[in-house]
Amino acid sequence: MLEHVYLIPILPFVTAFLIVFLGKEGPHSKMPYLGLGVMFWCLLQASCILAQAVSGAATLPYYKTMSWFSFGDFEMTLGVLIDGPAAFVLFVVTLVSFLVQLYSLGYMHGDPRFKRYYAYLSLFTSAMLGLVVSSNLLSLFACWELVGLASYLLIGFWFEKPGPAYASKKAFMTTKLGDCGLYVGLLLLFASQGTFDLQMLQYRVSQDMMPLEVATGVGLGFLFAAMGKSAQIPLFIWLPDAMEGPTPVSALIHAATMVVAGIYLVARTIFIFNAAPLAMGAVAWTGLLTAFFAATMAVTAYDIKRVLAFSTISQLGYMMLGLGVGGYSAALFHLTTHAFFKALLFLGAGSVIHAVHSNDMRDMGELRHKMPVTTITVGIATAAIAGVPFLSGWYSKEAILHAVYAHDPLMWFIAILTAGLTAFYMSRLFWLTFFGKAGDHHKWDHAHESPATMTVPLGILAFLSLLSGIVLDKTGVFARLVNLEGLLRAPGEALGAVAEHAAEHAGEAAEAVGAAAAHAGAHAGHHPPEFLLPGAALFVAFAGILGAWKLYASGDYSLAKSLRERFAPVAETLERRYYFDDFFLWMVDLSDMLARAFFWIDANIIDAVFVDGWAALSRAIASVHNWVDSRIVDGAVDGVGLITQDAGRGLRRLVRGQTQDYLLYAAVSVAVLAVIITTR
Amino acid sequence: MGILSLITFLPLLGALIILVLPREQVKAVRAVGVLATLASLAASLYALSQFHPGDAAAGQLPMQFLEKFSWIPSFDVNYFMGVDGLSLPIILLTTLLCFLAAVYSASIEERVKEFYFWFLILEVGMLGVFCALDLFLFYVFWELTLVPMYFLIGVWGGPKKEFAAIKFFLFTLFGSVFMLLGILALYFQSNPHTFDMLELMKASAGFSREFQIIVFIGFWLGLAVKVPAFPFHTWLPLAHVEAPTPVSVILAGVLLKMGVYGLLRISYSILPLGYEWFLPGLIVIAVINIVYGAFCAMAQDDMKKMVAYSSVNHMGYCLLGMAAVSDAGFNGAALQMVNHGLITGALFFLVGVIYDRAHTRDINAFGGLGAKLPVYAGLMAMTCFASLGLPGLCGFISEFLCFLGAFPAWKLWTTVSVIGILVTAAFFLRMMQKVFLGPLNEKWKDLPDMSARELVAVSPLAVLMLLFGIWPRLVLDLMNPTLKVMTGMFPTMFQLVRP
Repeated sequence: MLEHVYLIPILPFVTAFLIVFLGKEGPHSKMPYLGLGVMFWCLLQASCILAQAVSGAATLPYYKTMSWFSFGDFEMTLGVLIDGPAAFVLFVVTLVSFLVQLYSLGYMHGDPRFKRYYAYLSLFTSAMLGLVVSSNLLSLFACWELVGLASYLLIGFWFEKPGPAYASKKAFMTTKLGDCGLYVGLLLLFASQGTFDLQMLQYRVSQDMMPLEVATGVGLGFLFAAMGKSAQIPLFIWLPDAMEGPTPVSALIHAATMVVAGIYLVARTIFIFNAAPLAMGAVAWTGLLTAFFAATMAVTAYDIKRVLAFSTISQLGYMMLGLGVGGYSAALFHLTTHAFFKALLFLGAGSVIHAVHSNDMRDMGELRHKMPVTTITVGIATAAIAGVPFLSGWYSKEAILHAVYAHDPLMWFIAILTAGLTAFYMSRLFWLTFFGKAGDHHKWDHAHESPATMTVPLGILAFLSLLSGIVLDKTGVFARLVNLEGLLRAPGEALGAVAEHAAEHAGEAAEAVGAAAAHAGAHAGHHPPEFLLPGAALFVAFAGILGAWKLYASGDYSLAKSLRERFAPVAETLERRYYFDDFFLWMVDLSDMLARAFFWIDANIIDAVFVDGWAALSRAIASVHNWVDSRIVDGAVDGVGLITQDAGRGLRRLVRGQTQDYLLYAAVSVAVLAVIITTR
Repeated sequence: MGILSLITFLPLLGALIILVLPREQVKAVRAVGVLATLASLAASLYALSQFHPGDAAAGQLPMQFLEKFSWIPSFDVNYFMGVDGLSLPIILLTTLLCFLAAVYSASIEERVKEFYFWFLILEVGMLGVFCALDLFLFYVFWELTLVPMYFLIGVWGGPKKEFAAIKFFLFTLFGSVFMLLGILALYFQSNPHTFDMLELMKASAGFSREFQIIVFIGFWLGLAVKVPAFPFHTWLPLAHVEAPTPVSVILAGVLLKMGVYGLLRISYSILPLGYEWFLPGLIVIAVINIVYGAFCAMAQDDMKKMVAYSSVNHMGYCLLGMAAVSDAGFNGAALQMVNHGLITGALFFLVGVIYDRAHTRDINAFGGLGAKLPVYAGLMAMTCFASLGLPGLCGFISEFLCFLGAFPAWKLWTTVSVIGILVTAAFFLRMMQKVFLGPLNEKWKDLPDMSARELVAVSPLAVLMLLFGIWPRLVLDLMNPTLKVMTGMFPTMFQLVRP
C-alpha cells in the first residue's frame, strides 16, 4: 500500500477531470458516485498505511522521488515523503473528505450544478492530499496554491449571489497575500541551500549548514503564508466570510483540507523553526493572540456558521501556539481531534440550516425536539471542543496547555482564559440552537431531522470525537508516531544509509524514540505545579458551559441583552472584528488608487514624453531642414509658419512628416558612424 | 531546400496563391490561408521530431538544420538559417499560433483576400527572424514584419486604427533604425567583415568594452520597443486595443518574443560586456515592467487593454530571468516566452469571443455570464489562472524559474517583484468576478456559448497550458542544453550576478 501512496492524491485529481468531462450536468447526475467511490478507495488506502505504520509493518519515513524537470544541472524532483504526521493527516483528510462527500449527496442533491460540485470537491481533496505527501517544498507549494484555487471555486460555488462571489475573491486574495511570504521564503531557501527536498533540507539543518538569518527569514516567510491559509491574525479575515459556500464545503475547509495546510506547513518544516528562535517565538505569539482574539469575536456572533468559523480560527491558534512552544506532537494531536469535532459541528450546523433555512441562531432554538440525532451529535462535539474530560478535545488541548506552561506561564494564563471563552461561546451556540426558545415558530414547525446520508456521517464523527482522544492518548500510538525527536532523527537514516541498512536500524530507532518519549513524559511529571493544570482547565471549561447555560439555555435572554448593552463599545468592536476588515478594505482602496495613479502617469507622462518627445525631435530636425531650405530657397518665413502649423495640427499630421525625417536621420547617422569607424 | 526554408516560406507560397485567386472566392482564400499555416505547422513539427536537444558538454550551441547560401557575396551577406533549443520552441509557438489565428480569422468578412495575404507575409517575417543566423537576413525579416502589421492594424482594426497603426509603425521603426546601426557597427568592427552571428559570437572577445556598450544600446533601443520594456511600452496597449483579434494574438504571442529572443541571441551572445554593463539597468526595468505593468493593468476597464498591460507585466518576468545570467533565469525566461505566447494568445482569443458577441469589452458591462456561458467561462477562468501563475498551469514554472534565477543576484529587486504576482491575481479575479459572477445581467441573456471555430482556436492552447504546467520538461528538455551552453559561454564575466 505504502509504495502506491502516490495514488492517493492522483486518483481524485484525475477524477475531478473525469467528472467535469463525462456525463451530463444536472441535479440528478450520477457522476458524484464516482467521486465518492474514489474517495472511499483513498480512505481505505490511507487507513491501511496508518495501520501499517501503527503496527510497525512499514518503516517510516517512506521516501521516494522521481525527476520532474531540470534546468542547468539541477534536477527538480517530485516525490512522496510519508512520516508519522503525514500518515495521520492523510487518514484524517481522506476520512473527513469521504464523510463530507457522503453527506453532500443529501445536502447538495437537486442543485443544478450537482456534478460540478463533486468535481471541485475531488480537486480540493486531491490538492490537500498532494500537499500532505509532498517530499519537496516546490510541489508542496504547487498543491498549496491548488488548494487555494479549489477553495475559490467552492466558496464561490453559488456565484450568482453577490455574497459568495465576493467571499471567494476575498479568500483567494487574502491567502495569496500570505502566499507571497512562502514564495519569498522558497526563493531565499533555494538561494542558500540549493534544494527544496525536505529530507535534504533537514539533513543540512542538522549539520548546521543553514545560517541563522536564512532560517529566520524562511521561517517568518512560511509563517506569513500559514497566517493566510490557517487564518491567523491578521490574515484571518477571509474565513468568517468563507461560510458563503455550501455548508459541507465549510466542514471540509475548516476540518481537513484548507486551514490545516498552514499548520501542516509549519509542522512539516519545524526543523527550520527549531533553528530560528525568533521565528519560533513569532509562531507561538501569533497562535496565542489568534486563539484569544478569535475566541472573543465568537462570543457576540449570532450566525451559527460564523461562530464556528471564529472557533476554528481560535483552535488553529492553539495548534500554532503548540508548535511555537515546542509541543509538536500536541499540536498535531489537536489537529487530528479538531478535524473530527469541527467537521461534526459544521455538518451538524448544516443539518440545522437544512431544516430551518436560516443561519441565524435567533431563528433557531428548541430544536432538540425536532432533531434528536443532530442534537446529540452536536452536543458531543460541543463538549469535546469545550474541553469536557475524557472527550477527544480534552486530551489534545491538555497536551498543548502542558507544553505552553512549560514554555511560559504567562502564555499559559492567556491560553487557559481562551479555553474558558471557548467553552462559553460553544455552549452558547448549543443552548441557543437546541434549547432556549424557538425564535421563529414558522421555521420551527417545518424543521425535521435530516436524511440518513447526512446523519450517518454525523454519527461516525461523533464516535470519533468521543473516542479518538482517549484511544490515541492512552495507547501512546500518537506520541510514538508523531514525535519531534523521531522526526529530527530521520534524515540521517533516509539519506545516509541504504534501504536495508535503514531497515535494520529501524527497530533500534523506534526503541530509542520510545525511550526518549518515556523520558520526556517522566520529565514532565516532575514539574511541581503541573498537577494543577488539568484542574484549571476543568474549572474554566465548566465555568464557560455553566455561564452560557445561565444566559441562554432558559429561553430568557434578558440578562444577555443587558450585558450586551452595558458593554456596547466592546461588543461593537468585536462585531466589527477589531476593524481588521476595515483595514484591509482600506488597503484594497489604496492599491486601486495606486493603480489609477500609475495608469495616469502612463497615459499622460510616459506616453506624452515619448510621443511629444518625438514630436519635439522631429520638429528640431524639421527646423534644421528648413533652415537649410531657407538658405537655398526663398520664402523662409512661410516655411517656418507652415511647420508651426503642422506641429499644432496633431499627431497624425506630425508623425507623417517623421518618416522621411527618420530616413534622413538614419542616413546621417550611418554616415557619421562610417566616418568614425573608418578613421579609427 | 532545407526544412527551415520550408517552414518559413510555405506561408509565402500560400500568400502567392491567394494573390492569384479571385477576390470573390472568399472560401477558397480562407482555405488556402489556413492550409498554408497548417503546412508550416506540420513542417515545424517534423523539424521537432528530427531535432536533437544536444549536449551541453560539447560547449557549442546545438545549431541544426543549417542552410547557407551566398546572397550578396561582395558584402559577405549569406542566406544562413539554423535553429537550436532557444529558437525551435518559439518557431513551434509561432506556427501554432498562426494556424490557430488563421482558423479564428474566418470571422473576418471584410477584404478577406488582402487580410490573409498580409497575415501570411507576417508569418514569413516572424519565422525568418527566429531562423536567421545572419544579421543582415535577420534585419530583413525583422523589418518584413512591420509592413503587414501596419496594414493589419490599420485596415482591419478598431475606431482609432490609423493612429494605432502609425504609432506602432513609427515606434518600432524608431527602434530598428538604431538596431540597424548596431548591425552595421558589428559588421565593420569584425575582421574579416561578417554578418554571421555565430562568427560574431566568436569574434566578440576582440571587441572593446566601450564598443560593446555603444552597440548594445543601439540593439537595446531596437529590441526594447518590441519586448516592450519600460518606457517603450506605450504603443502596445493602443495597438492591442485597435488590432483585430487574430492580429492581437500574433502581436502578443509572437511579436513580443522577437525582442526577448534578440536580447538573448544577439545582445547577450555577441555583446556580453555591453550586457554586463547594462545589468543593473535591466533589473530595474524588469521590476518596473512587472510592478508598474501590473498596476496599470489593474486600472483598466477595457478587458483587452488589461490583457495588454498584463503582457507588459509578464514580459517583465522574462527580463527578470535574463538579468540573472543563470541556468534557472535563462530557462525561466525562455520558457516564459513560450508560456506567455500560449496564455496571452488564448486570452486575446477569448476577449475577442466576447467582443464579437457583445460589441463591448468593458468589464463593468457584464455580470453573471458564468451560468449562461459555462464553456466560455471555464476556458476564460483557466486561462486567467494560468496567467496569474497558478501551479499546474504553465505560467507558474516559468515565472518561478525567473524569480529563482534572479533572487541570488538581486534579492531586494526580486522581492519587490513579488508584488506584481499579487496585483496580477487581483486584477484577473476582479475581472472574473465582474464578468462571470454575480447575478446575470439581463441584457446578455441570449448570448450563445462558444462556437466550434472558436473552440478549435482556443482548446489546443488550453490543453498545452495544462500539459506544460504539469510536465514542464516537455519544453525545458528542448531548451536546457542550449541555455546551459549560453550561460557557460563567458565564464569570467558577469561576476556581479554570480555567487
